[in-house]
Amino acid sequence: MTEYFGTTVADIFATMPKRFKPEEAKEVDIAIGYEATGEGGGKWKATIKHGTLKVETVEGELTDCKTTIHTDAETFVGVTLGMIGALDALSSQKLRVAGDPKFLMLLLPKIFTPYVAPAKKPDAVTARDIIATLAERFRPEKAEGVAMTIGYDLAGEGGGRWTIIIRDGKCAVREGLADPLTVKMTMEAKTYAGMMVGTIEAVTAFTSGQVKIEGDMAAAGATAKYFRKYVVPGATEAEELISLRVTNSIEQRFATGPVMGRWFAGIREKKFLANRCPKCGRTQIPPREICAWCRVRVHEFVEVGPKGVVTHFDIVYFASPDPLTGAVRDTPYATVYVVLDGATEREAITVDLKKEDIPRLKEGARVRPVWAEVTTGSYRDLIGVELDEEEGSL
Amino acid sequence: MKMHVKNRNVAIIGIGQTSFSSHKEDQNQAEMVQEAVIRALADAGLKIGDIDCIVHGNMELFEMQFAPDLWHSLGTGAYGKDEYRITTGGTTGATLVCAADNLVASGLYNTVLAIGMEKLQEGNTTGGITNMADPLWFRNLQTGALTGTTAQEMIDEFGEERAKRAAMRYRIMMDKHAMLNPRAHRRFGLEYSQMEDLMANSPPLVGELRLIHMCSQSDGACAMIFTSEEKVKQGTKNPPVWIRDHIQIHREETIPNLFGFNKPEVTHHYAARTLFARNGIQDPVAYFDVFEMYDPSAWWAVDWLREFFLLKGDEHLRMLEAGDFDLDGRIPINPSGGVIASNPIGATAMLRPAEAALQIRGDAGGHQIKKEVRHALASGFGGTFWSVLMILEKELNWQEVSHD
Amino acid sequence: MTMQEDHKDCFVLEGKMALPNQNFAGRLGSRFLIAIRDRKKIMGLKCNPCGKTFVPPREYCEKCWTKIADNWVELGTEGELVNFTVVRYGDRHLPKKPPYILGQIRLDGADTPLTHIVEGIDPRDVESGIRVKAVFAEKTTNTIMDIDHFEPV
Repeated sequence: MTEYFGTTVADIFATMPKRFKPEEAKEVDIAIGYEATGEGGGKWKATIKHGTLKVETVEGELTDCKTTIHTDAETFVGVTLGMIGALDALSSQKLRVAGDPKFLMLLLPKIFTPYVAPAKKPDAVTARDIIATLAERFRPEKAEGVAMTIGYDLAGEGGGRWTIIIRDGKCAVREGLADPLTVKMTMEAKTYAGMMVGTIEAVTAFTSGQVKIEGDMAAAGATAKYFRKYVVPGATEAEELISLRVTNSIEQRFATGPVMGRWFAGIREKKFLANRCPKCGRTQIPPREICAWCRVRVHEFVEVGPKGVVTHFDIVYFASPDPLTGAVRDTPYATVYVVLDGATEREAITVDLKKEDIPRLKEGARVRPVWAEVTTGSYRDLIGVELDEEEGSL
Repeated sequence: MKMHVKNRNVAIIGIGQTSFSSHKEDQNQAEMVQEAVIRALADAGLKIGDIDCIVHGNMELFEMQFAPDLWHSLGTGAYGKDEYRITTGGTTGATLVCAADNLVASGLYNTVLAIGMEKLQEGNTTGGITNMADPLWFRNLQTGALTGTTAQEMIDEFGEERAKRAAMRYRIMMDKHAMLNPRAHRRFGLEYSQMEDLMANSPPLVGELRLIHMCSQSDGACAMIFTSEEKVKQGTKNPPVWIRDHIQIHREETIPNLFGFNKPEVTHHYAARTLFARNGIQDPVAYFDVFEMYDPSAWWAVDWLREFFLLKGDEHLRMLEAGDFDLDGRIPINPSGGVIASNPIGATAMLRPAEAALQIRGDAGGHQIKKEVRHALASGFGGTFWSVLMILEKELNWQEVSHD
Repeated sequence: MTMQEDHKDCFVLEGKMALPNQNFAGRLGSRFLIAIRDRKKIMGLKCNPCGKTFVPPREYCEKCWTKIADNWVELGTEGELVNFTVVRYGDRHLPKKPPYILGQIRLDGADTPLTHIVEGIDPRDVESGIRVKAVFAEKTTNTIMDIDHFEPV
């Protein structure tokens, strides 16, 4: 099987049952289809039902799946390991989800423990693998003003001949040995691999004659610092990086003050109270002490609405988690901008539209308020608006 | 609006950026800040002892760490120096530059270091943005910075096909620019041949705003060093870039007022016409050689090009369709890949003048514009349509324009 | 014009902010915490030009900006209490029930003090200058609380 980031797609599905958390999936009833294209890919189906999990490989079409994930094998492994951001993969369309991607992004981490790639045995890494990562491990900031060509003549399995060219803050790797070379190093491929993964000590290898150096000795010694350390793919890195997860929770109390408070006093009585600027005549919603355009104090309150006209709307398909509960709203939902009857034309209010009315929503639609059963003088008193179709639309 | 009177001229003499990505587990916040600061100092050929004052900015609720300037002082070099902290939403980075400009222009300090940073991986960005909305009024309905209304307005005005193609053309153009910028976060390798597919299949967020249209969430920092004309005359390591003028426009706070029948003038348009008028710039498209625009989404970007360049009707669409905004076009937009490619919020609006200044210097690297860049425009955006706009110049030779 | 004095329309709405977040200790911070957790050792970083040893770790000397990220030195787990205060109020955000001593301990080999809790001595008897030693936590949490507290030697 083809490996990406040291892991195969099949590894990930094989470990699914072990990573499953039945207690977190008691309420879940879903079949998820997976299609990974390219080398090492295939089709899988995971059926999760009331705390049970069945994983199967699928030949032919994926059927009876509530949601399916389509991607190439490399992206699938990368996203699973956290090497590729799921949102980035979705944005670039390398990962496609039929169904609600946000739902999966919240569900999967809850019911599965993360996949961890098994550590690859260091001796499975060849010199060729390591040479292939040289250019990306290059540290231009360490090689300012450096110009050299380094030859590697590595004998045996996984070996070969390469030339590393460092010049103008760039690094290039070429097959074969260039002439002239600043320095040439000759050794067994497995000695090179051993030094790079840390199983063979470099000084010992040099002094014991396992490594033959021709040319500039000092240059040979300096090469290491131009590259980041090689890390065996999938190995639990030498470096453990600590992160602390916390939720800072702060209770808050917000005062309306007497002017905006009139709005809330109004909606407690199921009325909309705006205040009218004595200079420009606009009905400020929400009411504020000062008209910010005219910079004069505003005293007069007028009742507007209760019905109004939709000027703009947003249909939201991708709900953000509620910062208080982490819960996600049912999508799609509609946020509408409404100019209430009697309000001046710029003063729209923003409210939710009743879900059933979304398919018939149009700009210019007439709407009427939907009130909470018990009103207390808070924004929660106004649940939203619904289409007022008896009157027809504009 | 009164003239913005400068006591003395101010130049950008050092620029430092980290790379931008969604993964910076190996650095804490102070270390990430310091990476940018060290690069800015090296770029200016200065030592931390040469800095008189530090201006620091990010958005606390994005990392949920209170008083970050305190914790970052190990990275900022603020030890024993005057320091100011700025936190103005998306505009933070631009406000930092305006503040540094003013601090040097005032004569209070000779050399000022401004630092913008954000580590969005550490927090909950949308949750943070939600908490900026008025709790009494709008917070329960807030969807962070996601909105589909501009898309709908453009579709209403220009027809569905043309509007959607314009937004996607802009998006792919930004990706092509980002591919040339190794520091950019999202570099997808998109091709124009993918337009139809992306328009139909990118997951929808809000209305016709799709995932592909929206900016990234990135980690990263930017640092810039500003100094006075007198100091520049004593010699600088790299050519100075002059801040000719800047303008900051705020508006009434309630977003719904944008969506009544009678729309107020967009802040970007107000900022642009005011700034250009007081600097005697008649034709901004002809005058400027590059514009680094704060483009939170492809839809907003296309719409705002009309506002910033004071264009009429479909001029902005025609220019986009003709390739005028491409890297080798008449007035290239965001050679860096823009906010759509990299968005470490507190640094984002600083990256605009930083990248514009690199273009003027000719030091932008892979995404350097081929023709000479003498006049650059940079913008910032945040809050409820706050706008910051600034003019950068290669030469200290512009005409002062008299005003009442 | 006078302001409205009447409070009948003044409402107070309850709110809450509870945002999940994560802090990355970074490479240096992680090494520091892992040394405490796994090896029960407290490590500092030394600036050779200044001759100062810092704890907790930092990448650059904050005085001379020499990069000190690789210059680890092992500090003692004992040191001198150089300053302290007594926390006398309770709050759900605080790590202990009051009263408790919050001390600044200059560990042997360090030039900067480490802030931590001091136990095993009555708050009325505590004084600057006493010698204290680290008591490591049995249950570790990947935080500075992997040192449970300091107590008099």
